[in-house]
Amino acid sequence: MSTPSLKGIRVIAFTWVWAGPWMGGVLADMGAEVIKVETKQRLDSQRVVKITKNPEQGPNQGQFNVTNRGVKSITLNLKQPKGLEIIKKLVKISDVIITNFAPRALPGWGLGYDTLKQIKPDIILVTLPAFGSTGPDKDYLSYGSTLEAVGGLSASFGYPGEVPVISGPYPSDPIGSMYGLVGVLAALNYRQRTGKGQHVDIAQNEGVTSLIPEVIMEEVMNGRTRPRMGNRDEIMAPHGCYPCKGRDKWVAIAVGTNDKWKALCHVMGNPDWAKDEKFSDQYARWQNQDELNKLIAGWTKDFTHYEVMQKLQKAGVAAGPSFNIEELVNDPPVKNRGIFIEQNHRVAGKTIVYRSPWKSALTAKNPPAPCLGENNDYVFKELLGINDKEIADLIETKVIY
Amino acid sequence: MFYKVLDGVKIIEYGNFISAPFCAKILADLGAEVIKIEEPCCGDESRRQAPFLQDIPGLENSGLFQYLNMNKLGVTLNPESATGLKIFTELLRSADVFVENNPPKQMKKLKLAYTKAKKINPHIIMTSITPFGQTGPYRDYESCELVSAHIGGVGYISMREGDISKEPIKLPAHLFSFQAGLSAAVATLSSIFRQSTTGLGEQLDVSEQESVIQNLNSSIARYSYAGQIMARTDAAGHAPFHILPCKDGFICAAFVEEAEWRRFVEVMGHPEWADNELFKDFALRAKYWDALKPLMVEWTMQFTEEEIYRRSQEKAVPLGAVRSAHQVLQDKQMAARQFFVEIERDGSKLTFPGVPYRFSEIKMESPSAAPLLGQHNEEIYCGRLGYHKRDLAKFKEASVI
Repeated sequence: MSTPSLKGIRVIAFTWVWAGPWMGGVLADMGAEVIKVETKQRLDSQRVVKITKNPEQGPNQGQFNVTNRGVKSITLNLKQPKGLEIIKKLVKISDVIITNFAPRALPGWGLGYDTLKQIKPDIILVTLPAFGSTGPDKDYLSYGSTLEAVGGLSASFGYPGEVPVISGPYPSDPIGSMYGLVGVLAALNYRQRTGKGQHVDIAQNEGVTSLIPEVIMEEVMNGRTRPRMGNRDEIMAPHGCYPCKGRDKWVAIAVGTNDKWKALCHVMGNPDWAKDEKFSDQYARWQNQDELNKLIAGWTKDFTHYEVMQKLQKAGVAAGPSFNIEELVNDPPVKNRGIFIEQNHRVAGKTIVYRSPWKSALTAKNPPAPCLGENNDYVFKELLGINDKEIADLIETKVIY
Repeated sequence: MFYKVLDGVKIIEYGNFISAPFCAKILADLGAEVIKIEEPCCGDESRRQAPFLQDIPGLENSGLFQYLNMNKLGVTLNPESATGLKIFTELLRSADVFVENNPPKQMKKLKLAYTKAKKINPHIIMTSITPFGQTGPYRDYESCELVSAHIGGVGYISMREGDISKEPIKLPAHLFSFQAGLSAAVATLSSIFRQSTTGLGEQLDVSEQESVIQNLNSSIARYSYAGQIMARTDAAGHAPFHILPCKDGFICAAFVEEAEWRRFVEVMGHPEWADNELFKDFALRAKYWDALKPLMVEWTMQFTEEEIYRRSQEKAVPLGAVRSAHQVLQDKQMAARQFFVEIERDGSKLTFPGVPYRFSEIKMESPSAAPLLGQHNEEIYCGRLGYHKRDLAKFKEASVI
């Protein structure tokens, strides 16, 4: 029996940008029916970022199509009383509501947890605001980069001895998504056992801090701020990224024991410099890593990053290229795992997306991300039984909008 | 435990360092019973990882270990011995979930791979976290957090001000091993939900590289739709999207909407900058960043992080203070939500990061300290499995426990 885990669970998603939508994408992979509520009054900013060569594409582009894969979309203006009435009908036949809007958004529409609970007593509401729904800063605004700053991550990110920098990939968003999913799934498990729903509130900034305990505990235990270390490690050396043949090509190498060091030296052809006392034990190598890194770079530069990886992996030394996106998508072993999926989006055309970061035989097969309001008919007619004439009126009066 | 959600769920953790221990910690925090199995000689590798309390290394002194293993029971066991394997099998027989992060080859050699685990306990969920997953040409490659970060593509897009010819760097500490553990916990929770109704288990194959890939949604969209390859650039043609110095530290000014910039120039007392031809949109500000940056810094240097953060947020500008661990520990928002927790051991209390979620229907409880090496041997082996105390002595002599 290979029914996906969440088959039969219906989720309403009030989500935008990244952290919220990626929750929806993963829930769809788990087999849930995820209905994203959108409105032309204020589009998800990721629908309109201009990442396209096709001007006809409209609000069907960019990151939206990566994170909202497998999700359904309806358009509904909740500021209209009729819109609110319709969403309440949908709540009645749903299990979970997820949102990464500001804490005031849902209560502002009259959809606070107390109201939702009256409509559907065992409803699960999972809110994922930047700083949580309680506390003095609950209304503060943020993007991924802000969360990294406030959560204590940015202060430790940067090249050794230099100023802190913005990360670039903004992992705080998918970290928020995953914690949001912990909330959804824990609450579903609890409802299964007790019949009770609940409101789970997640603070994204706390999520960031909870993933860097070394930084926090260094301060707690020794009153020290962890310095910015780039690729460096507390113990290991060499532990860095070295230049390779070609333009902007790099390979990461990490050596944690004397045996691995010997293996690395052997692959490098046992150069004389490697016999120097400065590199004779792990501590000495760590102490002299600036010089060590330069010498290793002198060896790696004559090979491609793939060649260095293969030579070192054959000798049991941890090494891998610092892949750019094109290399990563086209790397045969990565392809073999099937993490990237090529889809043909109805409007946007060829779209590369990724599945949830694990393999399970139960993962649902999902269509591309929806166009705006693509599932209006299914939700309004089939699920809620609204007739064609009413639908026409609702479109006319910009309730379905 | 923090929340009694997974009451009655039994988990065996045979994990090391970060990814599997963090996955099991999340489940333990939610009230599952986790029995952590460690090598009798020396325990989990994270016991030997800084930070150490008062800089004194010792198996029971690592802040990282204590954080990762709070709320768990700990036993020592060597499954390489026949007796050890027999005991391991007995533990697996009564478990619901088996979490591990060992090399696939090693698990096969130990006769503990999924095919065997399933024979021991047909209903088991086995969550395996490895650098590259259980399949594909990289499955037996050596890795560590550094290599995973780079081969997963986040290093190549790490941000950089100024000289972009320097090497790609990764985010601090072991962020991506933590993220892999978090993702694995999400996968496991969905499977526990299915197991509780169907009684069925499954294999969950979690790859740290794929967990890193979920941070690339902007990269993949740009590549997919515009053929662009993102690299380390100064703010990606968008400004301000920078960390800037201020009187006592740094602030993170990274805006996405033009309205946010217009509100920020008001905060800075320079509304006229909004109309300046050189600074009127994100692209132009990036182009003339060399002219704009000193003007902004002249203003930021007059104020503290906290002043700039508060003033900006009061005007709905999503700016962040770049907080040190010390400042994070003093954060009033986190304090109001009781994020940090105290755990007592040997009569003294230490502060640790807590969990980012709050459940409306379940009371938050105090967590318990991580187990000392082999602390629960007697409780588990005698109390649960029915061995006699004198058996334990023999096991110890034979290095089984």
